Amino acid sequence: MSTEMIDPAVQPPVGPDTTAERIPGKQLSKWTLYTRRFMRNKPAVAGIVIFVLMVIYSIVVPLLTPYKIDDQDFMNLSTGPSPEHWFGTNASGNDNWLQTAVGLQRSLMIAVTVSVGVTALSAIVGTAAAYFRGRVEQITLMIIHFLMVVPTFLILALVSNNAGGDWRVISLAMIFVSWFFPARVIWTLALSLREREYVDAARYMGVPGMRIVLRHLVPNIGSLLVINFTLGIVGAVGTETGLSFIGFGVKAPDVSLGSLIGYGAASVTSAPWLFYFPALALTLLTVSMALVADGLRDALDPTSAAGGRA
Amino acid sequence: MIKYLVRRALGWLLMIVVATNVTYLLAWSFLDPRSNYVGRKPPLSPEQIENLLRPRNLDNTVPLVERWWTWLTGIVLRWDWGVSPTGGSVNEQVAYRMWVSAELVLGATIIMTLLGIWIGVYTASRQYKLGDRIWQGISIITMNINIIVAALAVVILAINFNKWVGTRVFFVTGSSSEGVTGFFPVIVDALQHLILPTIALVVIGYAQYHFLQRTLLLDNISADYVRTARAKGLTKQQAIRRHALRTSLIPVATQVAFSIPGIFTGAILTESIFAWQGMGRYFLTTINGNDVHGVVAVAAFGAVLTAIGALLADIAVVVLDPRVRVS
Amino acid sequence: MSTPTSKTVLSVRDLKVSFASEAGRVDAVRGVSFDLEAGKTLGIVGESGSGKSVTSLAIMGLLDENAKVTGSIQFEGQELLGKSDKQMSMIRGNGMAMVFQDPLTSLTPVFTIGDQLVEALTVHRGLSKSEAWDRSLELLRVVGITNPEKRMKSFPHEFSGGMRQRVVIAIAMANNPRLIICDEPTTALDVTIQAQILDLIEKAQDETGAAVIMITHDMGVVARTADDVMVMYAGKPVEHAPAHELFHNTRMPYSIGLLGAIPRVDKAEKEPLIPIKGNPPLLIDLPDACPFASRCPIAIDACVRREPDLVPVALDSGENHLAACIRADQIDADGLIGGLPVYPAPELHESALTRTPREERPVTLEVRNMVKTFPLLKGALFKRKVGEVHAVKGISFDIREGETMAIVGESGSGKTTTLLQIMDFEKQADGDIIIAGTSVNGLHSRKVERTLRRDIQIVFQDPMGALDPRMTVTDIIAEPMQAIGMNKDEIHSRVQELMDLVGLNPAHRDRFPGAFSGGQRQRIGIARALSTNPKIVVLDEPVSALDVSIQAGVINLLDELKVKLGLSYLFVAHDLSVIRHIADRVAVMYLGEFVEYGDVDDVFDNPQHPYTQALLSAIPVPDPDIERTRQRVIFDPETMSTRPATV
Repeated sequence: MSTEMIDPAVQPPVGPDTTAERIPGKQLSKWTLYTRRFMRNKPAVAGIVIFVLMVIYSIVVPLLTPYKIDDQDFMNLSTGPSPEHWFGTNASGNDNWLQTAVGLQRSLMIAVTVSVGVTALSAIVGTAAAYFRGRVEQITLMIIHFLMVVPTFLILALVSNNAGGDWRVISLAMIFVSWFFPARVIWTLALSLREREYVDAARYMGVPGMRIVLRHLVPNIGSLLVINFTLGIVGAVGTETGLSFIGFGVKAPDVSLGSLIGYGAASVTSAPWLFYFPALALTLLTVSMALVADGLRDALDPTSAAGGRA
Repeated sequence: MIKYLVRRALGWLLMIVVATNVTYLLAWSFLDPRSNYVGRKPPLSPEQIENLLRPRNLDNTVPLVERWWTWLTGIVLRWDWGVSPTGGSVNEQVAYRMWVSAELVLGATIIMTLLGIWIGVYTASRQYKLGDRIWQGISIITMNINIIVAALAVVILAINFNKWVGTRVFFVTGSSSEGVTGFFPVIVDALQHLILPTIALVVIGYAQYHFLQRTLLLDNISADYVRTARAKGLTKQQAIRRHALRTSLIPVATQVAFSIPGIFTGAILTESIFAWQGMGRYFLTTINGNDVHGVVAVAAFGAVLTAIGALLADIAVVVLDPRVRVS
Repeated sequence: MSTPTSKTVLSVRDLKVSFASEAGRVDAVRGVSFDLEAGKTLGIVGESGSGKSVTSLAIMGLLDENAKVTGSIQFEGQELLGKSDKQMSMIRGNGMAMVFQDPLTSLTPVFTIGDQLVEALTVHRGLSKSEAWDRSLELLRVVGITNPEKRMKSFPHEFSGGMRQRVVIAIAMANNPRLIICDEPTTALDVTIQAQILDLIEKAQDETGAAVIMITHDMGVVARTADDVMVMYAGKPVEHAPAHELFHNTRMPYSIGLLGAIPRVDKAEKEPLIPIKGNPPLLIDLPDACPFASRCPIAIDACVRREPDLVPVALDSGENHLAACIRADQIDADGLIGGLPVYPAPELHESALTRTPREERPVTLEVRNMVKTFPLLKGALFKRKVGEVHAVKGISFDIREGETMAIVGESGSGKTTTLLQIMDFEKQADGDIIIAGTSVNGLHSRKVERTLRRDIQIVFQDPMGALDPRMTVTDIIAEPMQAIGMNKDEIHSRVQELMDLVGLNPAHRDRFPGAFSGGQRQRIGIARALSTNPKIVVLDEPVSALDVSIQAGVINLLDELKVKLGLSYLFVAHDLSVIRHIADRVAVMYLGEFVEYGDVDDVFDNPQHPYTQALLSAIPVPDPDIERTRQRVIFDPETMSTRPATV
């Protein structure tokens, strides 16, 4: 018999929930409960540790290394890992250790910006469409379906190509083409939320519509938003990598993990270290974030069976 | 019911038409066929360039509305999607590349879906036990490997394998070899080219179906009607297999349909790495070559795929869920 | 407890069930023992958290894998605990069958009724396809489903709730079980359907000679169906007696409290309901004391020193009556201990208003000729109308100050639509809604509308759903006041005032709803509704989601507030006993119209319309002597008249 724990607030095998008076000693605040559950998930903790380490790597290394990003070491052109160049060099003699760190930094910046924008925009649009029903909902859904049909990757490629690799333009374009898919998912969830009686209660009190959306609907999908944000980072990194790989995203002299991999792909047999290290960084980044998202899902939403443990 | 589906199809068709037209305008805002001829040695005069571009409807001195009308009537009346700046027919390119991409994408999709569903069912009935945890670990890692990384890793492994064995077992470039004839040799050759990109796509793609199927099945396992089935006398395994599984397949089928457009994007990168001359590669060629008509054709192709995906999802729901049928 | 005889179908000894949880080990069932003979019905009564459902699932072997079950369950001489899932599955649906609460979710949505019935038969017997089909048709006829050939091919969602429950009973009966366990089989159904389903279960019992366990929280259902009754509290039986004994010679204070808290549909005098104060205990680390002691009005020191055993009560009649109370022998047959009632009766509130005749009091809400039709829409992209549903077909009524009006009806009657129309301030084409003197039809500006909202507020049914789980109590109660623009200090003091008024401790104002019990959450909802000093409060089934003992406290609170604040109430409900107790005027709604409307005593004692008569006839009364000898009538919608009840 396994000793899986059941959270009494979630699956009470016995009736009424706790009263403020009835458990005087065991006042578990929401946050302690969440943290405790998260910490129990070993892979998730590992994920957070790896992620933090990588962030530190990407910030600290460019500040501390003696090299600059376009410094060329003519003594070491396309050499493998060595004591002077821990990750080796590329054909122009640039240090791969530094380039990977800067590339990681750039990829992270874009990914976090995009994820914040997408999460916020999709949350508001999705819930508002569900709440206001009628015309507003119909039109919003039509726009969303239309945007699904429009070739967003193409637009992204066109726009970023034109922008000459400016990461801010790329981020903005990525937000524009990515917000509507999560918005649709949030809309589906908000459909059941809007039927809750406390939403009706607020309406009958005379609270204005947008206020209800922001005060009652959005906070109640909070756990989904947190998870979306984390997974959004994973997705944004992937998209940006793909974009930069084919040459439309971040361009020289700027580097991102995608552009580095793109460069490394060309010499994958002759100078494999140029592929391995950025690819490792990318994989560690995405896997760690995914583990964290999984842990968050378990901690915040234990009723969902998608998680590893209850 | 048929009427419902026909109506939906018409709706999507309308959107495809609008999206394609919008893309035409967007393409012209960002691309300039003239720039292909800039910096040529010897340089061409503006008239020469005009004489090359105008008959191809690619001359931007002609008003946009005129260009647009010529392009539109070409499609509607003759199904002619125009020519590239170098004069090659877009129709020809798309016709040939469509099947190359389809070959790559279809096989991978089918395999990854079936594999994912099977693993999902397997792990759901062994929730939290060792088999479940191992697969969870594997899947969470494979799901988050970027297609580029996976494809290149597969290439590296294949090259090393070929060296070790001594002959070319796996091909890392192209979709077929030159000069192969005869029914079986052609098939074997196609498979040798197909196997590596398929492995890469399947390895990183199956996990989303694994997790989805697992979640849905678990949600349904704790449903009341499964408890009733057990109360009738079915064992737990029987109840899950017969009652919960059928109900949980519906959303999975929908998901498969909706993921079709995403696979196309993945194909762009895979085709680049494996040098397949499919629609994905074409996407890159057209943008880099300022081929406006080509770009629009690619966009239309993608839009059609999305619509097909959505319609298939609708059909799947109608077929699998009796509740929808009767209302 | 008797020794098992040869007719004993089920014999349970010292059954204990526990689960692991975040807060510790939860002891859901702490020692249940009983015997059940063929052809008899055992009623297990208890409120939420008593362990009654867990007991039934333990008997069937359907508990989660992480549940720890000890004790002994013997079915027809076989020990069930320790059997594997495969072994149990041969008994389930065969010797033992179960009927669950919610017929909507109990049947698999993607298989036809026929498939599911046939499966129940073929999983145990080697019948051919056509044999199983024929037997299924027969079963459907037995449970009263007309046109069974067609119904076999239908899906569950095409049936109404009552019909679905009939199918579930047919599945349970399929293999002639010797034990049928019914877990709240009628709670989710309308009261007239409930009566039919209870009749059907009786019929199934007669046909198969099975023993029945009827699990419910409704004492009326118990009075109707049970031969023996076992009252459960905090995971243990606290009283176990034959039905007549339990209802008329109650010996355990909890059972006495339970019976005293139930409103009766057949009693005209307005006696106040007797609530039981406090809440049931959490089943974690229970001390060795009587679990009811903290709520018991006659508890003494000895009660908290040791948990009382379930022992026989000394009776002259020789009946086997067990009670877990050390003072049981001191309670006499009239429910008095030492000459005084076990539960002191709370005072009845009388207001000056009720002394004025209603015609002379001002009108707080008036509805004239309300009509509401819903279009039936078809089409996915562009919807078009293919027909109409007349939800409300022209009703009119008024409510005076200090008066409680109730609209009663079953599902589909239109009562909820009426309520929503009023709250939405829907302008009426050929009528009007007048709230505290202001006509809704004349509203043209948002600002005026918002001011009007002050005068009418609503309390919802579900205490869980009515409060935003992410807001503190203060925020929840303050929200309406913020919406009308009161300033912060005023709001703050008013929140304290309101919490006192509804019986909540103001020190808890920064907690979240999740920390409160159902009854307390409902009080928060009431406090919220009162915050703007409304003239009229609309209540949508405010107590139906609460346990009986808690329900009484909330009903008394509503009465008290009505008197203190001079409120008028509009109740919408389906529970006629509660209505009888609190309402002054009642309207019975059927298919969008008022079929009966008048003073509550007139309507209940002398119903004119056949639908009202059938409705009243269907309500189970918590008194076995009355209940088992009643003549029931059914309403026939085609002839619009009543006929005697048959199954």
